[in-house]
Amino acid sequence: MRLAAWPGCAVAPLLRWGASGRRHRADYGGGPQVRLAVAACLSLGVIVPASGFVTGPAWAAGAGFPLTLRNCGATLTLEAPPQRLVAVKSSMVELVLALGLGERLVGVAFLDGPIPTEPGPGGGPAAAPDLPVLSDRVPAQEVVLETAPDLVLAGWESVLTASGAGARDSYAALGIATYVAPVACRSGPDRPDRITFEDVFAQTLEVGRILGVPERAERLVAAQRAQLAGVAAREGLSALWYSSGTATPFVGGGLGGPQMMLEALGLSNIMADIPDSWASVSWEAVAVREPDVIVLVDAVWNPVAQKRQLLAAMPVTRGLAAVAEERYLVIDFAAAEPGVRSVPALLDLAAQLEGLGGAE
Amino acid sequence: MSLSQGRPDDPGGDVGRAAGRPRADGALALGLVAALLAVGLLAVTSGPAEIGPGTAVRAILAGLGLGGAEAVSELHRAIVVELRLPRVVTAACVGAGLGLCGAVMQGITRNPLADPYLLGLSSGAAVGAVAAILAGAALLLPLGAFLGALAALGLTLGLAGALGAITPTRVILAGIAVSAFASAVTSLLIFWSSAGDSYREILSWLMGSLAGAGWREAGIAAAALALVGGPVLLIGRALDAFTFGDRAAAALGVAVARTRWALLLATALLTGFLVSVSGAIGFVGLVVPNALRLVVGARHRQLLPLSALAGAVVLIAADTAARSLFVPRELPVGIVTAMIGAPAFLAILLRHRGAT
Repeated sequence: MRLAAWPGCAVAPLLRWGASGRRHRADYGGGPQVRLAVAACLSLGVIVPASGFVTGPAWAAGAGFPLTLRNCGATLTLEAPPQRLVAVKSSMVELVLALGLGERLVGVAFLDGPIPTEPGPGGGPAAAPDLPVLSDRVPAQEVVLETAPDLVLAGWESVLTASGAGARDSYAALGIATYVAPVACRSGPDRPDRITFEDVFAQTLEVGRILGVPERAERLVAAQRAQLAGVAAREGLSALWYSSGTATPFVGGGLGGPQMMLEALGLSNIMADIPDSWASVSWEAVAVREPDVIVLVDAVWNPVAQKRQLLAAMPVTRGLAAVAEERYLVIDFAAAEPGVRSVPALLDLAAQLEGLGGAE
Repeated sequence: MSLSQGRPDDPGGDVGRAAGRPRADGALALGLVAALLAVGLLAVTSGPAEIGPGTAVRAILAGLGLGGAEAVSELHRAIVVELRLPRVVTAACVGAGLGLCGAVMQGITRNPLADPYLLGLSSGAAVGAVAAILAGAALLLPLGAFLGALAALGLTLGLAGALGAITPTRVILAGIAVSAFASAVTSLLIFWSSAGDSYREILSWLMGSLAGAGWREAGIAAAALALVGGPVLLIGRALDAFTFGDRAAAALGVAVARTRWALLLATALLTGFLVSVSGAIGFVGLVVPNALRLVVGARHRQLLPLSALAGAVVLIAADTAARSLFVPRELPVGIVTAMIGAPAFLAILLRHRGAT
């Protein structure tokens, strides 16, 4: 019974693929029969224990399946590479695209900004022309479920909570796997102490394994490693990573993506003593620590122009050499989160830093 | 509408205390003024930048154009004169206003638990302020906050009245309902309007923060305190006549209804202005007058100015803690006042066990 059901499970989505033609159709959730078929498959997926002898059909599963791994306090078991992905936050969407699997995305949500359109560093297409956007922010769980995903990828741990897009348990109960970007894991023993490029690469490789394209992930990581090695750190300058905020600036602390990037550039983070990825600080603390360079995060809702204006207007910051001489580096908000875009963004920042010329 | 159903607050004790202790009151006032200066100096000299009292004073003198500018670096001058000083002034004015509003509201409603925050005024003002910002009318922010506070006050008293005689408990319960509703409206406005992580900014309306206080904010708070708080201090003296009930007050020649409504409107106006500067800061208006009442009793002639003074001291101290406890991080000051205020609220509840 169980074995007989498996091919059906794999075929059901394919049938719908043919029937609906385009993958962005609103009715892609499928008719009642299809949903039943999917539900049956999914529930089977839960019932079947992940013991060694249970293997999916060879044509559906790549090497390394079934796959069991720990992910941010949960255990993830996959019988075959997921084919229907929902990705929440730009970092996860861009990773899937960089692995060349944009056609598996049945839903994306909470994009930080436009997806870059140039080809990704690993060779895969960086952008799909029309992503099925479910929601501007965290989607409700039903919106996610309606796309009948087999894997939900979350760029923030908070996405997969009851007040977000639904708790991980509730997805597991429906047989839907969930994955939290390991670099964004904020709780429990799986929380990384301090984000490094190795963590970013490990995340890319892990997602590659999960999606059944380990070689693509390895190629991507190898390319990024080579690029990273080519970045010459420029020692001797201090920097502030200014993400957002006006009254109390939200800045990069000592443990997260900003610290990783600044270190790779050879810049010393003036807020490195904050034991967190990000924090709200006072302008006085910024002024008294006198950064040589300021990294400005460009977000749609808090653009760089606004930040430059504020820094130049405030009495405590306008006297800083970095402000007076406009020693600014600009990074896109989506690239400021550690992920597949970190290395390209680092190259960009390094070039900007080079362009500042005679700073100090 | 009659607000006078509650029991007079500990009349026997008040009569005893009201027997007149001008010297003790004078000493208390002097002590509070000294504390205000001390905590003000502490606030101006504490922060991530190491600036001693000497430098701070020189920076202030330089800022006033009284010379000595060459002895102070531009950075230190900017930190003291443009960041810390306006913040201290704003904290002092907001704290004084909240202390005064709390004392007046407790006197009018004869309810030791009344306070702009618990009665929903602060949350209502925050709705008005956020709505004004979202409507692109930042200049009308104080007006929006006032209208919000007024609407919340009307709702709270109306709700409490609809429940029957206006008792302290009913007013508080109505205030909780109004406050919860107003907070929900603010959250809704924020949820719909904010993009990305900009909610962090608007969150300060809910929690209360003085981080953005510059000289403009200090000016608004000081003007509100002088123009609205001053008259409240004068009219509020009539509250002493209310202690033994409306009839007794009328017998003493007080226009009971008119005085009460004038004071209620004035507290709504003052709360609106203060919230437009600092967001909804809780518990100062509740705790400060209650603590002082332990010392001076319910004599409003003394209680009101002392509450204003002590409120200023408390809020400067709380704000200094908010920005110095976790340097270089900053906390919203409302978190600090709630941390101290919520247990104090409990203590007040226990003290007034019988009356609520």
